[in-house]
Amino acid sequence: MKTVLEKGNVFYQGKFQELDKLVIEKGKITEIVLASAKAKKGKAVPATKKKPEVAGKTIDCTDKYILPGFIDAHTHISLEEEGVGWYDADFNESYGLATPHVRAFDALKMRDRAFKDALTGGVTTAMITPGSANPIGGQCCIVKMVGNIAEEAVIKESSGMKFAFGENPKRTYGEQKKFPSTRMGTAAVIREWLMKAQDYLKRKKTKEFKEREIRLEALIPLIEGKIQARAHAHQADDIITAYRIAQEFNLDLVFDHCTEGHLIAKELGKWKARAVVGPTLSSRSKAELKNKTFDTVGILMDEGCVVALTTDHPVMPIESLSVAASMCVRHGLDEERAIKAITENPAIILGLDKRLGKLEVGYDADVVVWDGHPLDTRSKTEAVFVDGNKVI
Amino acid sequence: MSIIFNNVRIIMSGKFFPGQKVLVEKGKINMVGSSIHKNVEKSIECNQKYLVPGLIDAHSHLGLFESSSPMNDVAESWAEITPHLRPLDGIKMRDRAMEDARRAGITTCMVCPASELPIAGICSILKTNGNSADVGLIVEQAGVLMSFGEVPKANARMTEKPHSTRMGLTAVIRETLMKAQDYYAAKQSKKVVKDREIDMEALIPLIRGEVPMRACAHRAEDIMAAIRIAEEFKLKLVIEHGTEAHLLAPILVEKKIPVVLGPTLLPRFREELNEKTFESAIILMDAGVDVALTCDYPGLPIETLRVAAAMAMQYGLDERRALAAITEIPAKILGVDERIGKIKKGYDGDLALFSGHPLDIRSKLEALVVDGDLFIFSNDIKVEMA
Repeated sequence: MKTVLEKGNVFYQGKFQELDKLVIEKGKITEIVLASAKAKKGKAVPATKKKPEVAGKTIDCTDKYILPGFIDAHTHISLEEEGVGWYDADFNESYGLATPHVRAFDALKMRDRAFKDALTGGVTTAMITPGSANPIGGQCCIVKMVGNIAEEAVIKESSGMKFAFGENPKRTYGEQKKFPSTRMGTAAVIREWLMKAQDYLKRKKTKEFKEREIRLEALIPLIEGKIQARAHAHQADDIITAYRIAQEFNLDLVFDHCTEGHLIAKELGKWKARAVVGPTLSSRSKAELKNKTFDTVGILMDEGCVVALTTDHPVMPIESLSVAASMCVRHGLDEERAIKAITENPAIILGLDKRLGKLEVGYDADVVVWDGHPLDTRSKTEAVFVDGNKVI
Repeated sequence: MSIIFNNVRIIMSGKFFPGQKVLVEKGKINMVGSSIHKNVEKSIECNQKYLVPGLIDAHSHLGLFESSSPMNDVAESWAEITPHLRPLDGIKMRDRAMEDARRAGITTCMVCPASELPIAGICSILKTNGNSADVGLIVEQAGVLMSFGEVPKANARMTEKPHSTRMGLTAVIRETLMKAQDYYAAKQSKKVVKDREIDMEALIPLIRGEVPMRACAHRAEDIMAAIRIAEEFKLKLVIEHGTEAHLLAPILVEKKIPVVLGPTLLPRFREELNEKTFESAIILMDAGVDVALTCDYPGLPIETLRVAAAMAMQYGLDERRALAAITEIPAKILGVDERIGKIKKGYDGDLALFSGHPLDIRSKLEALVVDGDLFIFSNDIKVEMA
């Protein structure tokens, strides 16, 4: 089975160009020919109209826009716990302070409407993470937006360990009249567990070692650098605290939300930070969001950070990912970088830039055809391919 | 970057002398004297205004207490003991009080968790500039904050903890210190493969005598309890608040225990503040005790540090010692007197320029330098660029 998209504007190598054809075969992109490349070849190939090898389907995309499927690098899609309330207290009470052994992957509900909504909004891949009530929340997974069972959708079952700084954990536990109720306490909990994990790993290699401990087992891949540390941090000082701890324990760190990142842009640039910024469309519902602005993305990009946008679904609905990118353009970011912030950059941040985030030969055929410019909010998706299968 | 303050008054052998110049280069004080001839980037003509070392508050919760918010990061009320809390992880550098501190001429603060628990956490020393706490940090582990008397008692009652008397609370401290001693000894023996314990790790510098126990104590009995424990465990000791310290002046002198005194401007809203008096400073100093003044922000607004010194003068203290109590002496008590607290060659470029005498409350802060970073707060100040 082979699908060919013909004509239209393709987002290729960082900008919109005129397409001649894009070929999808066996779930991958196998060929991309630009109109300009064809023109250069000139009259040598004038009579291609007979299309001899039409073994598959051809879709005429004249005047359409063809883009890689968008990626949201921070969501809670289908984790019911997040839907309970914006500070997910129920989630927290049922689990406890540090829950590194909790896996988002085990709670996916593939029939959640959000998966369909995502595809409608041009989103084909998302990272799904436990909530931010606990200092250590659990393991994140990366899935595509299709599949009857989670195993069909999965890219990585455990891609990162969620940590939370700032207001959420201290409010959650403070309201329960428990430790931690301060930022210092939150950091102390995280350090305590990371120290334990380091010592556990050391002890595991000795003869004294007897019984496994599930929480510490879960932290080993993190300590060994095999999965990322995902730090929920809004306020500048919380972002810096996350970095401080990551340095102490040599963690591979990604900043999530990063609401005040623009206030410490120089530092973040120096650290070559990877940041998943947002949900900027939401309201300033708590103190640590008071400096929220759509300028953050551009400022951080100018400093050399890799920045992706997020809806933090269900905080903002997943379809609003492209709207967030449009808002950044309204605030001065150029279109190309705004699109990168929902395609290439999240792929880099998730460590999937060898197969996702771009339209390139050999990449996953996650291709979306829009009837107008994708950053024009009036435009809609006309066709969506995930791994070469047409799902819309 | 270099800055010169021309024609200022600075303290020399206890008195303000006019016509002096101070040169700050690369964040440090490079030259002090009446005749400095050097090309500098920024030159400030000061018309005989008063230049003092950046002020130091040796006990505060700056940046941990969050302005205009019901949620702060000062105290872990619900925990038992938290020796491992690090202020660095809770300080908000963009909190409004940080700007207030700079505008009050304060360049350095000791920041610690609140004294609600018998063992509250570690004390850190921080400059008030810097975009992140790490940049402003001078000393991270500058002591362990412990607490005696009414405050931890009230907390214990509120949170229904097993110990809620002075006896019970000191027992908790003793128990923890004993554990820490044994933990350290076991660790040194190197025979046992043992997982680290984060709270015990934080107490090791204290047990080794590298940093002091900073004991919040108001009443004489509570101060004595702190002294007793410090001696039992061979700890260095600093008394914080010390409302009744003047009643123990001879003992404090003999044992060379300094006092971070205050906040004295508060009303006597608790039993243990009953003996509070502005004469404490002079009584203790006359006896030979090192005394620094504090406003215990947010106990009092951070801008009131100068007021505390002025009030001590009203009760008989001389100008030199009143000023030293918010510059030199806190630097000494914090163990950073090698680099801050004086206008002296080689010291950190921390300076505060006041329109009039710094202990005249009507004088206003016109310029501040922190680690060579210049902040101008007055239109009267003209900076000539080279």
